[in-house]
Amino acid sequence: MEQKILLSSDIAVFFDGLLQSGKVVVAPVLKQSGKVFFKPVQSYAEVATDYIQTTFSAKEVVFPKVEELFTYHHNEDGSLDINDQLDRIPETVIWGLRPCDAAGFDYLNTFFLQENPDSYFKARYDKTTLVAISCNTCDESCFCTSVDSHPGDTKGSDLLLTAMNGKYYVEVVTEKGIKLITSNNTLFTSTDTLSKDAFLAKPLTHFSMEEIKDKIQNAYASAEWKHASMGCYSCGACAFACPTCTCFDIQDEGTQDHGKRVRCWDACGLSQFTKHASGHNPRNTQTERRRQRLMHKFKYSVENLGVVSCVGCGRCIRVCPSHLNIFENILSVTK
Amino acid sequence: MKELQIKAAELLENGTINLLIGFCQDVSKRPVPCFIETAAEANILVFNEHCKNNLSVYLHKKEVKDAVKIGVVANVATLRSILQLLSENQLWSLTLILLTVNGAGELVVLSSAEELETYVQANFPTCRPEDQEMLDKLNAMSRAERWAFWKDQLSECVKCYACRAVCPMCYCTVCTTECNQPQWIKTSAETSGNFEYHTMRAMHLGGRCINCGECGRICPAGIPVHLLTAQMNQEIEKEFGGKTGWSLKGGYALNAFKPEDKEKFIK
Amino acid sequence: MAEPFEPKLVAFVCNWCTYAGADLAGTSRTKYATNVRIIRFPCTGRIDFMLLIKAFQNGADGIIVSGCHPNDCHYTSGNFHARRRWMVFKSLLDFMGFPTDRITFSWVSAAEGKKWADLVNETTESIRAKGPFVDYRTLDYTLLTQLENEGIAD
Repeated sequence: MEQKILLSSDIAVFFDGLLQSGKVVVAPVLKQSGKVFFKPVQSYAEVATDYIQTTFSAKEVVFPKVEELFTYHHNEDGSLDINDQLDRIPETVIWGLRPCDAAGFDYLNTFFLQENPDSYFKARYDKTTLVAISCNTCDESCFCTSVDSHPGDTKGSDLLLTAMNGKYYVEVVTEKGIKLITSNNTLFTSTDTLSKDAFLAKPLTHFSMEEIKDKIQNAYASAEWKHASMGCYSCGACAFACPTCTCFDIQDEGTQDHGKRVRCWDACGLSQFTKHASGHNPRNTQTERRRQRLMHKFKYSVENLGVVSCVGCGRCIRVCPSHLNIFENILSVTK
Repeated sequence: MKELQIKAAELLENGTINLLIGFCQDVSKRPVPCFIETAAEANILVFNEHCKNNLSVYLHKKEVKDAVKIGVVANVATLRSILQLLSENQLWSLTLILLTVNGAGELVVLSSAEELETYVQANFPTCRPEDQEMLDKLNAMSRAERWAFWKDQLSECVKCYACRAVCPMCYCTVCTTECNQPQWIKTSAETSGNFEYHTMRAMHLGGRCINCGECGRICPAGIPVHLLTAQMNQEIEKEFGGKTGWSLKGGYALNAFKPEDKEKFIK
Repeated sequence: MAEPFEPKLVAFVCNWCTYAGADLAGTSRTKYATNVRIIRFPCTGRIDFMLLIKAFQNGADGIIVSGCHPNDCHYTSGNFHARRRWMVFKSLLDFMGFPTDRITFSWVSAAEGKKWADLVNETTESIRAKGPFVDYRTLDYTLLTQLENEGIAD
């Protein structure tokens, strides 16, 4: 892994250079509501920097909230046109990810590209470069250090920038990262490995995945689940804000002449999520649904994919209307 | 809030209630809903002007209803919601004790529907100034500007249904959105489907919503959806009279009619 | 080579008055625009506002909603309920910036065949002047691409 220095005064130049090269750049933007979202931008001036975390994750770039899988159209001569957009995906850079968000992409990679790679995800992910920026601040909802990550983690990112007194320490993690720097390499000077420690936030560590892996084996039967999920309103906000939630629904919309098939986000917290065609619903109460969510993230993903499907970004806690706390719940059911 | 904690402990101790829904502080010192079943837990309760969640929505939840005798720490919006729900014949299986704090900072305990109605009518709130300002601003815009505003806002909607989930009036066991024979509303979060969803929800709430504003406050995408029902309620009150969350008698504007109703647009 | 725009109108009408009025226009050999697709309901009180939205969703450019005059409803009060519903629905749509001038509400009785024909003709011309309801159909970017391909939107 190479290390470079980029002067803070040059960051806007690098950023605008990416735009000028024709790439779509998605970066955190402050909206009128006071919330920060990842949006395509036209200049560095639009990028928000003074915030803890965006409301929604950046997974939308590779896993859109509504994705047209294909459209179909019956022609007058009886022939059928079926089209998809896979060859029209632009080169994209996601800028300003937190290390937890980049770790989230690492999970998405593992999930979507295992034995039968998801061609839609792959087409988008292959065209996307991830530029993460280390965290120098955090709040009480952040808990990356409890889930095998930390505020300076390079996991999942192509470039990781750490702000250090008038300059950025740039860790070039992957080939994609090298390619991105090469487009503007006069701005970057090589350097030896530097310590980031003094410039990183210090979130509280509530547990370690090592401890949890054992304790969670018996958590399914815990009597604490009811209490842990009492405040849950049964909406999908946590799942949609989460960088690693991947559940989706596929819907067909159209007529005999033309239409489309779309993939859209779905959430295990919604009451009808597991309803069968017979009318039976195996997870009929919110207690069972919340238990499923947490067990999936902290046990089933670990066992099936080898990685915890939670990155400690804290979005679910912030976005939940009752601020249900995932790490407190994990602690209480594994007591 | 010592008085509140003492009263809550007392009610739980002597079995008047089996469950108390109130507020406590979370890791970031935000007031969040909490559910306590023993007197010993009462010391976590807090109550102040930041306690905005409308806790009456939990009264539809099975795990809560099982307790039957329930205490609720309620702000004025929650009290009005409970009154509106009682007027719609909901909550009949529950015995409720409502705890609130009046303008003078005193603890008030409401143990009957009549006491609730009297208190609400004596402390009836007006539209929040920031909401009225937004309504006036939107109503002053041209139609095209309003369309552009809502199109921009509703393109951000992800159909998480948090707005529906926190609404005490959305208590249908199977929502219109969950019907697929026919598929009234698209499940995906495309702007046209979002438009349809919010229109449908506003219509189903017209004349029932008590304007707690929670739907707009908690929307993750920051969309002021509460303005839709706020506008509708103002129109309905103007045309047909009657206030929501005002009396036990109820009277849903869209369920009733007067032969003298007047409009100007029917040819 | 685009054909001239022909508005697609959908009419939601009650069986006892407006539908009968439309029948009368037919039996009287009154000529009127053929752009309207008539859907028969037992009463205007049965017309759910979601059906109007569905019509626009499926490509209608304009809608007519019509029933018995107040006090003449075959079921006594169905049209009174409908009237309230339409007042509330129209004010909501106005607030959202929806072009409610694409929806025409009317009372047409079984004897008013001519009124029905005139209503359809006027509404057709009014919608023709407004053009296709592209605003609604271009809310979604994917549909916009399709409409671009069809030469409707630019």
